[in-house]
Amino acid sequence: MRIHYFIIQGLALLTLATQAIAQDIPRTESGKPFFQGLWQAQTRAAYNLEGHAARHDMPAGHSVVEGRSIPYLPEALAARNTNYANRKALDPLSKCYLPGPTRIMAMPWPFQIFQTDEHVAITFEWTQVYRLIYAAGQEPYYPGFEHFMGDSRGHWEGDTFVVEIRDLNDRTWLDAAGNFFANSTVITERYTMEDADTILYQATFEDPSLYSQPWSMSFPLIRQKNMPRLLEFQCQAEVEEANGDFERVDNLWYPAPIPSDNVPFSYSGEEDPALPEVPASISRQEYGVPDISGYFMADHGGANYGLEKRENLAMFPPARGVVINPNNRVLPYQKWAREEMVERREAWRGYDDPTAHCFVAGIPRSHYVPSPFFILQPPGYVVILHERMSYRVIPLDGREHLPNHIRLWMGDAVGHWENDSLIVESSNYNGKAWLNELGDVISHAQTVRESYTPVSDSQIIYRATVSDPIVYYRPWTIEMALNKQDEELLEVACLEDNNDLQHLKDVRDEHRASLGQEN
Amino acid sequence: MKKCLVLFICLFSSSLVQAHHSFSAEFDIEQPIALTGKVTRMQWSNPHGWIYIDVENEDGFVTNWALETSAANNLIRRGWRRDDLPEGTTISVEGFRARNGTATANIRGITLEDGRRLFSGNADELRN
Repeated sequence: MRIHYFIIQGLALLTLATQAIAQDIPRTESGKPFFQGLWQAQTRAAYNLEGHAARHDMPAGHSVVEGRSIPYLPEALAARNTNYANRKALDPLSKCYLPGPTRIMAMPWPFQIFQTDEHVAITFEWTQVYRLIYAAGQEPYYPGFEHFMGDSRGHWEGDTFVVEIRDLNDRTWLDAAGNFFANSTVITERYTMEDADTILYQATFEDPSLYSQPWSMSFPLIRQKNMPRLLEFQCQAEVEEANGDFERVDNLWYPAPIPSDNVPFSYSGEEDPALPEVPASISRQEYGVPDISGYFMADHGGANYGLEKRENLAMFPPARGVVINPNNRVLPYQKWAREEMVERREAWRGYDDPTAHCFVAGIPRSHYVPSPFFILQPPGYVVILHERMSYRVIPLDGREHLPNHIRLWMGDAVGHWENDSLIVESSNYNGKAWLNELGDVISHAQTVRESYTPVSDSQIIYRATVSDPIVYYRPWTIEMALNKQDEELLEVACLEDNNDLQHLKDVRDEHRASLGQEN
Repeated sequence: MKKCLVLFICLFSSSLVQAHHSFSAEFDIEQPIALTGKVTRMQWSNPHGWIYIDVENEDGFVTNWALETSAANNLIRRGWRRDDLPEGTTISVEGFRARNGTATANIRGITLEDGRRLFSGNADELRN
């Protein structure tokens, strides 16, 4: 009796303690747990979900699977074992393929969660992968269309965010040990904040064709308190730079100097036209700034085939011309840089365009690549998710740029609101991007000032003023409308099915061979 | 979506809207090609979809051609689905051959045996 009393009292105290902890977590204005922040999994699950001793290619780890082992059916277990035995050759991640929605949560790379009432976005440092989770009961636009990262729909069960993932393809693994699921598998994730700095991540896998019963795994996500922002790891780009398939451009990549015989760079010249007026009736976020969130597609005018106005040129489609400054709408190239742009039109240079390798498009090209993008406005940030699997995180807290030597494909952006326009200043580019397929040139020295000015609830006027003292002799500005559409992003898995690159390499190699050059 | 009225618009809407590489760097506009064959596989993928067809020449020799289409995301947004081009379907295509001389082409239009055109407009045009 006495023991019973103490057990009851103990349980009551434990409940009170749990409630006290639960109340201590950050919450949104609507009272939901607020997951926003930088996180990283604390687990060895990315190597092997099941308990395992150390191998030469993986550290030891405890099982994160409830019941220790995944309840495979015999045929599936044999397939997993074959995967394991041949993991070095077969692991999709060794080819930099998209990792799938749960493996990337466990990988030893940080990620950032952004949260609004309608969406939760997770942006990963690894290869600029992101997940966009619909959190307000939105029905999928394209059910049945398979993705590497699946289609994620979330809802709240008390303080737990529950995400159902469907429409997965069967081309990813769950870990580096060959554990796997199929395109028939349904995954249910549960995110529960245990304290302000810990999320308990759980995932349940259901698939009667593979497993004898549903099974679950869990591991903690730990807040990264001393990390100011995510950096970049572009998996395939790093591989190709290391093995020579993507060649360094010494006069454009960081830290190329300004050529001594350049025409001196000058900021003098024509002023940009005034930004358009933002109507008083524009929809606004709860905290007062214009609402620019949603799915957008640029009225790009063929900017991916040239920023200057140009008629149809051989096999490049015509370009409307998006340059608004200088007044003559001609890019103020240094002479050598225009010659470089003209040479890039040659077929044998097509291999050099980073987007042909499925690398990210950089700024401002990501706006007109052409591909849609989704703008989110979580507290303190604007986040732009590009359908071609890259993103920009734009903090609005007035922070300084990264140290000069840290260089990124997408640059380091900081933003603020000015007369109802979002102004974004960016620098720290690596100089590896092209401005379009035509080959308009940009270097690591580029700094960009962009403005996003909403002129209605369905249109933003976008401007980018680029200053690059290596490639140009004065700044220039492009402008295009971004049109909001009633649509959803799909996934672009690019290098996974990129049949074009070898063709482009063949053309480049043949040209070099004709000149007696080695490839 | 309105039916393409001008072939030119169809060409560039079908193939270049989600282009991730220079068309002219890979394919040769000086080598237009027309092929008829049976579908062996459709790769429903990004950044481009691929249709594979067996083409028999006058000597009875069969070559499997790889035909590059628009991105799967473009096709799906226009209403097309993976099942719309089953294996064994006979199709005729026009396009431009790859510069590297392989049996590869970028195609700008697909015509079924009954004359209907595929993937250049809205899926409803076929299903209606």
